[in-house]
Amino acid sequence: MTTLFDFNGAPSSGWSQPAPIREDPLSGIPVSARRASLPRWPRASEPELVRHYTLLSQRNFGIDTGFYPLGSCTMKHNPRLNERIVQMPGIDRIHPLQPDHQVQGLLSIYYEMQEMLAICAGMDAVTLQPVAGAQGEFTAIRCIQEYHRSNDQAHRNKVIVPDSAHGTNPASASMCGYDIIEIPSGQDGRIDLEALKSAVGDDTAAMMITNPSTLGVFEKDIAEAASIVHEAGGQMYYDGANFNAILGKTDPGRMGFDAVHYNLHKTFSQPHGGGGPGSGPIGVKSHLSEFLPSPLAARRERDENDPLGVDDGYWYFWEEPGSTIGKVQQWNGNAGAVVRAWAFYRRYGHELERMSEHAVLNANYLRHKITKPTPSGNHTGAFTEGAPASVVKHEFTLNMTPLKEQSGVTAKDVAKRLLDYGYMAPTLYFPQIVPECLMFEPTETESKEVLDKFAIDFLEILSEDADTLKTAPHTTFVKRVDEVLAARQLILKYPFE
Amino acid sequence: MSVSVHCPLMRRLQAPRPTDIIAGDSMDQLPNLGRELEMLSEMGLKSMDELFEDIPEDVRRADPLPLRDPQSEEGILADAHRLLGANIHLDSRPSFLSAGLARNFVPSMVPMLATRGEFLTSYTPYQPEVSQGMLQAMWEFQTMISELVGLPVANVSMYDASTAAAEAITCAVRVRSKRAEQPNTVYVSEKVPPHRISVIRNYTQGVGIKLVEMPHTSSGLLDLEVASKAKGSCAVYVEQPNAFGIIDEGLMRLRGIIGDSTSLIVGVDAVSLGVLEAPGNWGADIVVGEGQPFGIGPTGGGPIYGIFACTKDYLRLMPGRIVGQSKDSDGEIAYTLTLSTREQHIRRHRATSNICSNETLIALMGAMHMALLGPEGLERLAMRTAAAAQETMETVLGIDGVELLFPSTPIFREFAIRLPISSEAALERMDRHGVTGGFDLSRWWGPMKNVLLIGCDERTSMDDIRKLSESLEKAIKEGSH
Repeated sequence: MTTLFDFNGAPSSGWSQPAPIREDPLSGIPVSARRASLPRWPRASEPELVRHYTLLSQRNFGIDTGFYPLGSCTMKHNPRLNERIVQMPGIDRIHPLQPDHQVQGLLSIYYEMQEMLAICAGMDAVTLQPVAGAQGEFTAIRCIQEYHRSNDQAHRNKVIVPDSAHGTNPASASMCGYDIIEIPSGQDGRIDLEALKSAVGDDTAAMMITNPSTLGVFEKDIAEAASIVHEAGGQMYYDGANFNAILGKTDPGRMGFDAVHYNLHKTFSQPHGGGGPGSGPIGVKSHLSEFLPSPLAARRERDENDPLGVDDGYWYFWEEPGSTIGKVQQWNGNAGAVVRAWAFYRRYGHELERMSEHAVLNANYLRHKITKPTPSGNHTGAFTEGAPASVVKHEFTLNMTPLKEQSGVTAKDVAKRLLDYGYMAPTLYFPQIVPECLMFEPTETESKEVLDKFAIDFLEILSEDADTLKTAPHTTFVKRVDEVLAARQLILKYPFE
Repeated sequence: MSVSVHCPLMRRLQAPRPTDIIAGDSMDQLPNLGRELEMLSEMGLKSMDELFEDIPEDVRRADPLPLRDPQSEEGILADAHRLLGANIHLDSRPSFLSAGLARNFVPSMVPMLATRGEFLTSYTPYQPEVSQGMLQAMWEFQTMISELVGLPVANVSMYDASTAAAEAITCAVRVRSKRAEQPNTVYVSEKVPPHRISVIRNYTQGVGIKLVEMPHTSSGLLDLEVASKAKGSCAVYVEQPNAFGIIDEGLMRLRGIIGDSTSLIVGVDAVSLGVLEAPGNWGADIVVGEGQPFGIGPTGGGPIYGIFACTKDYLRLMPGRIVGQSKDSDGEIAYTLTLSTREQHIRRHRATSNICSNETLIALMGAMHMALLGPEGLERLAMRTAAAAQETMETVLGIDGVELLFPSTPIFREFAIRLPISSEAALERMDRHGVTGGFDLSRWWGPMKNVLLIGCDERTSMDDIRKLSESLEKAIKEGSH
């Protein structure tokens, strides 16, 4: 398809701009600092560009175009109300350095979200500043690091992660300077308490773990794991990537965690937008709260001299925690994502647990539809379950090794064939502890009909001939893309020359 | 049972939901509400509770979440209007607050196209065969950023300018440290805004990187004599224009001063590159900056996006996602994420960064805006900004008692002035006159009590400037308290 750089019309702007307010706009700019030649950007009119980007959008798959069972990513519907709200000038046209009295509305939304998220996770304080899940992990580990330093425990230099953890966990801890100890999972994919006991010690700074695990199973021994880590003097960190499974049913506070991150772009429907923006607030227990990034939204009762504000009886203001680690993003985080998540939360209110119930209902239903024996039964030898469990939480995994052994068809081939059927592929080859892994997360916003149809199609794919699968996809925008060639030729920009 | 797969809506219309199950207005997000028992019974289960039986009793929540009642879409929208309407937004009055973010104009096309569901509701393009649209758009974005800053490689965005700067520093140390005379040492201009320094410190403290401040002269320029001490270190980080808005021509000589074995990292105001020479053309190895002026409003500080571009020497150790051109099995041109072996999902704790989610959608908005501008439109945007700043500066210097903090230094978007009263008091008074007069620099550097940073943009009008000038003059006349 045409690229932007095929547009090279007349040297004019694609949309009109007024003239500079002076006739000598560059009078203050030294000649020696001026640009010799302009960037080779396209020269295109608005109609050409609207068509270009519309055509590009039509070559892209989103939740809006089909079922997106991408495990661990919680690809739920993104309510359009939220997009409408963030177009309002009261958020789009707000500068983070405006004085408190100019942003009472935004501060009150921040305050409400801090409180709500703390309640949902059983934590005492929340910051909305981290702008992605990985940054939330990093921020929480920084807080834990300062906590240890303030208690003369700076020698604690190791962070424990299960081998099933998201890759961001060890990467985030490593960026804080920690050595990583990876512990193996047990036979059933759950945490191995014996392995944990032998991993902890006087050098343990923290353990990072998600629950339910990346296999979609609840860690029933989580409270015991927490006490093992705590007894060794370490802190427990909850990776909130899988929070959609348990909201209102349990919380990380009850499980014994000291810190948690939330993914507003998963649990609270901030759109993923092709890879971001995200928003990764963290919640902490009170002993860590003084270290949180600055500032936090705070409030006091409004006195008669204060302006009206949002007229709820309070005056809102930014406040710096006592021993803050400072900033992890330059401003106050992804405020636009916070506002979207606020609008999402307001739909559910205290009914947020319905959301998790339906996410778990759908995951178990889809798992049942795929794994139950059928009269034709031809799929049953194609996979095993990634982890044994009577019920799963929001996602589940399949091990496609039998299929590979039978016919040489890999999990990737199956994933690519699903694209032909109009589905996004499940998460592939993660967690790494399950060989030939496919990981499905349907979310609560898919109907029974979609799940029924997907199960039928998935099983049909397993009975197709091997060549069809190995060369899939066949009906997509492009055929299977050569990733090795991309890494070898490294054409990372338009070749003008 | 026959499964109606072609028209689920018709099926639903035939089987309306029992109204007594609808617990609140929120439930319009749950297609299977009211059909739980049907689905459960297929699984041989009787209640939703059975789905959560694997959660041990001692960690289960017994009581409902103590949160507010669910609201309807109408109710939420009304509250959003009420709360966000209580904010005083930048477009509602003359505003001269920038300090790193721009009160820009975003063309109408941009939000309309970027919020098309195919873009908005997609995830990271792990399956290139059905993600060509976003992949190509990001490859085009990389190209435009590369052209803008004068370096061959760009990624698809960092979180913001500050994390881009922080990760540029850790990247440069990875590349340079083994052979550097001053290993793990990075020289940073002392006039980088403290919020950004704070981010940089958080990103560098744990991995043993030593930051050395580079002083500025009394003219506000980087002290090039002292900067020569950075020779042999891993990297130098400077900003152009700097935090006072100054175009520091001396920075263009830094490459010669620090030598070829030290990385030169330059933070930029992206719009300024419509008139200022691209740092890649005066020796920068890595260029970072805030992309926000292209694509999105300041949005309370986010989502925005950081620019990250570098020479090929840094390619394999740089952070973030990169799109490369390839071919499909038919030999047709296709795009895909590439060099993923640097990343956390493969390399885990040895990854070059923990970044996973980035700011792709905002980068897409930036790409659309840049494409609409074109080369000459970019130049005009920069000229409008520069003209507004020059005009504003000349006007406020006509006020009694106002002087430039750094006389006779060239500026682009912003400039710092010294007032006869505290800038805090001046801003409060101007605010009462309905003018957002700038940024109180003592919030960044305590001793600068009387220093006001005034920032302009392409939209600053003669009328705005007149109102600023009048209100500043009035504020000063009210005297000091």
